[in-house]
Amino acid sequence: MFFRTIFALIIINKAGGLIYNKTFHEAGLNKISTNDYLVLAGTFHGVHAITTRLNPVKAPSNRTSMQSGILTRPDPPSGLEVLESENFRLQCFTTLTGIKFLLFTDTTQANVDLTIRRIYEMYSDYVMKNPFYQLEMPIRCDMFDRKLLSYIREINNR
Amino acid sequence: MSHLAAGKTAGAKEAAGLRYPSNGKTIYHRPLNRTKTAELSQSSFAYLFSEMVTYAQRRVTGIQELEKRLNLQGHPIGLKLLDLLLIREPARSQTRPLNIISLLHFIKINIWQHLFGRQADRLEKSSNPDTPDEYMIVDNEPLVNAYVSVPREMSQLNCAAFVAGIIEGVCDGAAFPARVTAHSVGGKEEGEMWPGKTVFLVKFQPEVLEREALIGRA
Amino acid sequence: MSYYFAVIGTQDNPLFEYEFGTSKQGGDGQLRFSDQVRHLNQFVLHSSLDIVEEIQWTNGQLYLKAMDKFFNSYISCFITGGNVKFLLLHQPPGANSSNVIGGVGGIAATTTRSTSIGANPTSPQTEEAVKNFFTEVYDNYVKAIMSPFYKANMEIKSPVFRSRVAAAGRKYL
Repeated sequence: MFFRTIFALIIINKAGGLIYNKTFHEAGLNKISTNDYLVLAGTFHGVHAITTRLNPVKAPSNRTSMQSGILTRPDPPSGLEVLESENFRLQCFTTLTGIKFLLFTDTTQANVDLTIRRIYEMYSDYVMKNPFYQLEMPIRCDMFDRKLLSYIREINNR
Repeated sequence: MSHLAAGKTAGAKEAAGLRYPSNGKTIYHRPLNRTKTAELSQSSFAYLFSEMVTYAQRRVTGIQELEKRLNLQGHPIGLKLLDLLLIREPARSQTRPLNIISLLHFIKINIWQHLFGRQADRLEKSSNPDTPDEYMIVDNEPLVNAYVSVPREMSQLNCAAFVAGIIEGVCDGAAFPARVTAHSVGGKEEGEMWPGKTVFLVKFQPEVLEREALIGRA
Repeated sequence: MSYYFAVIGTQDNPLFEYEFGTSKQGGDGQLRFSDQVRHLNQFVLHSSLDIVEEIQWTNGQLYLKAMDKFFNSYISCFITGGNVKFLLLHQPPGANSSNVIGGVGGIAATTTRSTSIGANPTSPQTEEAVKNFFTEVYDNYVKAIMSPFYKANMEIKSPVFRSRVAAAGRKYL
C-alpha cells in the first residue's frame, strides 16, 4: 500500500518529555491529539527503560578485558530498538546524551539506519548550534524544520 | 637571542606579570604569513559564535542593544584585519584605500575572502538621492548565520551584526568613519532561493563625503 | 648620526618612542643629541604630522619618503593601513644642532664618507635603508596589535617590541 515512506519523527529528551514531533505523510498513521503524543512519548520512555534492564546475556567477566591490556568497557545494554507490526515499523535511535529519535516508517523502507543518522546530523547542526535553543526544551528551530522537511520529502517522493 | 636571554631575568623583575616562554620564542618570532592558508572547522566556530550570542544576550534590554553588543564584539577584529591583510599582500600592491569605492572593494574582496573563503555577492550604491552616503554589501548566505534560527519573537534580530561590526572596524581604521548595520531581506516563502540573504548597510559620516569631494576636485 | 623614532596613533597621540644612534660607518650606536635638542625633537616630529595628513590623501603608498625638513633634520614617514604613523627624525652629524635657542649640541664630528647613510639623508640608499627599517617595524607592529588585549590607540609597552625595534635600527640604520 504505502511503498517506502517515512510517516513521522518524534524526539524524546533525557527525562522522557516530548520535544519534537512531526508527521510527514498524512495518510499512513492515525491522527492523534498533541496530548496523546505526549503520553506516547512518556510511555515509550518508560518501556525503553524497562527493556534496558531486561538483559538475559551475562556481562563478560573482567578477566578477558584485563588480558587484552587495554581496559575495555563492555557495551551498556541498550533498550528497545525496533518495533515492527504489519502496518508500520518503529525504529529508535538512542544517543550518548540520552536523546531518543523515534522514526515511524513503512515496513518496506530500506536504509532506515542511514536516515536516522542523517536526522541526527541535522539535529546536531541546526539545533545544537543554535544560540537560542535551550537544552531539553521543545525544539522550535526554523532551519531544522526546513532542512528536515526537504530531506524527508525527497525520500518519500523517490 | 642572547640579547633576549639577558633581558629575560631583568625583564621578569621589572615587567611584572610578563612571562617569557621557556624556549625564548615570543609571539614576535612567529611569521605573520604562517597561518595564511590555515583552515578552521566550521563547527568550532559555530559553537563559539553561539556562545558569543548568548553572552551578548545577558541582561540586555532589547534587540537593538543585542545587535550593538555583537557589533562591538566585531569592531576590534576589523581594525586588526585591516593591517594584517595589508601586510600580507605582496609589496608592490600595498596601497591604502584612498576613496570610498576602493575601500568597499577591499572589503568585498579581501576581507570576505579571508573570513569566508569567497567574495561578497554584490556591492551597491544607494539610489536614494536623500542619502548619497549609503552603500550596500549584499551577502546571500552569511556564514555566521548558517546554524542560527532566530525565534519568532525576535525576528528582527540578525546575528550578522557581528560581521557588520567587523566591517565598521575596517572602515573606522581606514579613517572613513561609518555606521554599519545588518538587515535580513530573505523572504520566508517556499520558493525563495536565499532565505538568509543579508544586506549590510554602510552609512558614512558626512565628513567622509566632504573629503571625497575635496579630493575629487584636487 | 642620530635618530628619533616615534609611533603616533590616530588621535595624534604617541604610542611608542625610541631614540638611537647609527651603528654603521663607525658610529657607535650612541645618541648624539643634547638634552635641549631632544625636547625640540618631539615638537618637530609632531609638527610634521600636519604635512603627513595632507599628503596621505593623495598618495596611496605606505612609505612616504623624507617629506619634511627642519633646519638640518629630515623627517620621513610611513603610514600604516590603520592610519597609524611611524615617524623617523634623522640628523646628519657634523652640522650645527637645530637648537635655535643657543648652545651647540654635542654632536661629534665623526669622519664619515660623503656617501654614507648618515651624511646624505635624501640619497636613495638612505631611503632604501629607512624603508627596510620601517617595513620591519611594521611587521612587529602588526604582531603587537594582534593581541586580543590591545585596544585601539593603546600605548605599546612590550619590552620585546622595544628590543625588536632596536635590533632593526642596528641592522638597517
